[in-house]
Amino acid sequence: MSVSLSARNIVKRYGGVVALSDGNLDVHSGEVVALIGANGSGKSTMSKVINGVVVLDGGQLLLDDKPVRFSSPQAARKMGIATVFQELSLVSKMTVADNIWLTREPLKSSGMIDRKLMWEKTEALLDLFSGTFKADLKPATLVSALHPDEKQIVEILKAISLNPRILILDEATASLDSRQVERLFELVKRWKAEGKAIVFVSHRMEEIFRIADRYSVLRNGKTVGQGDIKDITEKDLIQLMTEKEKVFQFTKAASGEDTSGLDHPIYLEVENLTTETLRGISLKVRQGELLGIGGLQGQGQRDLLLALFGDIPYEGKIRIKGEVVRFKHPRQAMRKKLALVPGDRAKEGLLYIRSILDNFLLPSWQNYGFPLKMKLAKRDALTISERLSLVMAGLMAPVSSLSGGNAQKVVIGKWLLRDPDCYLLDDPTKGVDVNTKAEFYGLLTELSQQGKSILFYSSDDDELIGLCDRVIVLHDGKIRAELQGASLTKENLIAASMGVSNGGEA
Amino acid sequence: MKRFSWDEMMNRYPAFFAIILLVVALIINFILQPNMFARDTLNSNMRVFLPMILLAAGQAIVILGGGIDISVGGIVSIVNTILATQVGLNGSPEKMWTFVLVSLGAGILAGAINGFFIAFLRLQPIITTYATSFLYVGFALFILPNPGGGIPAEIANVYRNTTPLGLPLAFYVIAVVLLIWMYIRSTRFGNYLYAVGGNAEAAYETAVPVTWVLFSTYVVSGFMAALAGIAITMLSGSGNAEIGVPMTLTSITAVVIGGTALSGGIGGVAGPVVGAITLGIIQNIISFSRIDTWWETFVKASIIVVALAAPGVINLLRRKKV
Amino acid sequence: MRKFSISPPVAAILLAIVLFLLSGFLPNGFGNDINVAIAQATNIVRLAVFLGVIAAGQTLVIISGFEGIDLSAGAVVTLAAILTYVTVKGEDDKVLLALLISLAVGALIGFINGLGITFLKISPFVMTLGMSGVVTGLIIIINHGNVSGKVAPIMTRLIARPLSPDIPIPNAIIIWIIFGFLMWLLLERSTFGKHLFAIGVNRVTAKLSGVNVTATNLAVYSLAGALAGFGGFLLVGNTGVVFINLGQPFLFPSIAAVAVGGTLLSGGKGSYWGTMAGAIVLTLITSLLTTMQMPDSVRRMVLGATLLVMISIYGRQRGFRQ
Repeated sequence: MSVSLSARNIVKRYGGVVALSDGNLDVHSGEVVALIGANGSGKSTMSKVINGVVVLDGGQLLLDDKPVRFSSPQAARKMGIATVFQELSLVSKMTVADNIWLTREPLKSSGMIDRKLMWEKTEALLDLFSGTFKADLKPATLVSALHPDEKQIVEILKAISLNPRILILDEATASLDSRQVERLFELVKRWKAEGKAIVFVSHRMEEIFRIADRYSVLRNGKTVGQGDIKDITEKDLIQLMTEKEKVFQFTKAASGEDTSGLDHPIYLEVENLTTETLRGISLKVRQGELLGIGGLQGQGQRDLLLALFGDIPYEGKIRIKGEVVRFKHPRQAMRKKLALVPGDRAKEGLLYIRSILDNFLLPSWQNYGFPLKMKLAKRDALTISERLSLVMAGLMAPVSSLSGGNAQKVVIGKWLLRDPDCYLLDDPTKGVDVNTKAEFYGLLTELSQQGKSILFYSSDDDELIGLCDRVIVLHDGKIRAELQGASLTKENLIAASMGVSNGGEA
Repeated sequence: MKRFSWDEMMNRYPAFFAIILLVVALIINFILQPNMFARDTLNSNMRVFLPMILLAAGQAIVILGGGIDISVGGIVSIVNTILATQVGLNGSPEKMWTFVLVSLGAGILAGAINGFFIAFLRLQPIITTYATSFLYVGFALFILPNPGGGIPAEIANVYRNTTPLGLPLAFYVIAVVLLIWMYIRSTRFGNYLYAVGGNAEAAYETAVPVTWVLFSTYVVSGFMAALAGIAITMLSGSGNAEIGVPMTLTSITAVVIGGTALSGGIGGVAGPVVGAITLGIIQNIISFSRIDTWWETFVKASIIVVALAAPGVINLLRRKKV
Repeated sequence: MRKFSISPPVAAILLAIVLFLLSGFLPNGFGNDINVAIAQATNIVRLAVFLGVIAAGQTLVIISGFEGIDLSAGAVVTLAAILTYVTVKGEDDKVLLALLISLAVGALIGFINGLGITFLKISPFVMTLGMSGVVTGLIIIINHGNVSGKVAPIMTRLIARPLSPDIPIPNAIIIWIIFGFLMWLLLERSTFGKHLFAIGVNRVTAKLSGVNVTATNLAVYSLAGALAGFGGFLLVGNTGVVFINLGQPFLFPSIAAVAVGGTLLSGGKGSYWGTMAGAIVLTLITSLLTTMQMPDSVRRMVLGATLLVMISIYGRQRGFRQ
């Protein structure tokens, strides 16, 4: 089953905004093409064009060299094109099996769904990822009861159950842990060998170089480079994506001289913190320290940050500057000068339809009196947006008009306005383009030099190693290892993440 | 971590709470009215409940699909006025049959109008069906400005007094409705309904024909409202353009008491049917308990609020324990 | 597209002006007598005040999102009117007390709504619907067929009469303008308003940004109840009599006014200016139809059709396919 798909000079506008002005992509049987680009470069739009979710404004799609026009996702699916969506397309109140087979349920002669057969077929699909998720994930489990990584797996299985000729993986690895990514890549190799064509959309360079055969780089809606992966270096790819040459170097807190200010006073002390997923965490963070939190997805990192911020109930003791605190609501934590950048900016960090101003000021309105001093508020918001070099049409523009990286700047900016002592960051660079990432690294370094304490969870191991003085690795709700200095290596980090016990106390 | 949550339980047995409520109501009613299971009493109760049962079943389909239909009462009114004016007190059974079909057609058409605005023009269901409810009640008033007219007593009596095998006619109608629902539930359309109500965007991306599914829920609701209109006309024997108006909100209450969430995608039709019966029995209890007439509305409304609040209270207590 | 987009409040006002000018050509319209025209316009705005004030609380709960709606508003209006009526008994010095009672009772009912919605997770539609029944029950108990009371002369003077013989603007309109300004302060220039919009868009974000979602939600329903109480107080000052169904006819128009005024029915976006414009449009249409001596049936159908047209213009939700 040989197949080829070409997208030629694709144009797509949303209202007045041009998302794609000249998008190009070629993919053939038995190869993986990486679709690369910074946020807002048009990657997601490109995959939506291929799978028929959006209507093109210009250009041509050729399937097996014949022009095609998809009137709906259904039409694209009939042609053998399946997509693993970045924003999951699952119905949470339905079971795993119902979700995977939706619209293709096996039927009995009576027209009724053959659920037994459907469950068997689901079991067979789940076997592809067996061992990488918890055992109680069954075909009849409700999707609402799944963890994010498990949902992503279901999403992948849903796409592959179509037995597509062309498979689009749109940021499919973003919420998977390394074991699951490993399994996915094995499967991708198998699918490649079966003659499937695969489009791989990702921010992670390392993954692109591992799995892709060819690349296609988008920049500002234009395809600026295509070719074989083996002919290009990581640096060149980044350069293609970022226009101006901007090779970012991770800047370790005090660039070698002052390692984490060991003599600074302890800011935060956690003793035996226990929640639904945490099983007794103890740690200390000094003022001006940038403490990394590592580990596989969903090992309690999120709970740790949320508990510290007073969003979820916990047992154990938390001390701030020696004083025992017990927050029952985030606003109490905010009063003690804590700030949280949550893991899902769309669902937890932003008010999408409200203005940038409203988003910046949301935690701070109390400080502006009654009636609110709007001039002052605007001036303060403008100062922050300049400090973050936020690209926007104006403070009154809705956040929904911003690209991913810029939207994330708003999430961080709203806390800068309050000047907290301690930042809790839940994977803040997830789905953010390299330029913005580099800016964030600079900002974090700056903040820690100002004496702010930072707890920084990242799903990107390189980031932790490059940026942090000390990294704790969580596994199954416990601290598996504490890495610093010479022991802070990628090997140790990965080993500890997987629960292999060799990363000891340093 | 065990994943058999309350959510999942409510997902599998959405009518669970409604049935408990029904049993409690039945027991109280039985104490107050010991002959309630006698053939005649049972029949006279069930024939009163049936219109609301039909209405609630249709409303449940719309709500499952993530919408709401405020216009069902208006459709009941239209059907009632059509029958009362066109068949007349001296009409023949043939005429009745003809206008029953016309009524069903009117119900489907009214539902299709709702569906067109909501599914195809993407308007918000509450406000759209609120607007059409004005259209429909207005139209019913246009047909029959003042209460009057009706259908022949003989035809009404067929509805009132038919008890095959000694069981009320309503039982057979309920059985047919539930059987059809059980079949639909296990077809693809049933799955589509839950998918659209649960997450319309995801359903669309998965190639579920969302627009048509939404549209069809309103058509079904219009059809069921027409059936309810026919039933209530046979029950009352007379015409009144305002007859359906108070039924709309009751139908929604029945659906919610029946464990079908207004947010869509959770629940079923059996629960709302049970809910509608329960509401009827509560009314019975109140009339039999000989409370002061002035207090009736208050007591009834309070019972309904308590019934609506009960699952929430259980949830709250459950969460406190964990 | 962008060039021609006008904000919904402006669109509503333009519609009102066009309709009003057209109405001048009616047989019993104002013709070309400018004084009559002004008098008629003033009268329509004066009538719109009551709907406008009752719709203020509705605006707040709809902005608060999560299917926020207050179906108990109509019953609360009646209850407050009756309480005012029996408290004042024609004495000027009891007016302030009556106002406080109206506000407090409204707030209490709203608070109970809020409790059910926030803690028991009952959907606002169902909770306030149930509460509407309970309050109606209370009204029947208090009313007991009829009530004895009287509004005070000062209320009639403050609400129904013009400011002074020279300035023919009724006091009600002045009150409304001040009220509108206060609503603007509340929504756009207070922390509470900002938090209200925030919980209307995204409650997780709001909580993680330090907003006390529970308290804000409780406050908004209490406030909505109090505003409905205020509406009842004003209304009885205008009508001078009370009856069981006084407030109910204002319920659905209050929701329609919010929708016509462009407030997003899904929450998080909107304004009270829009609601004021919406109230004027709806009142204008109703009174035009009355002037034209249209039967009730036509009035309802036209009202329904107007609402459908208005929401078709700017009430559409985002399509699935972009």
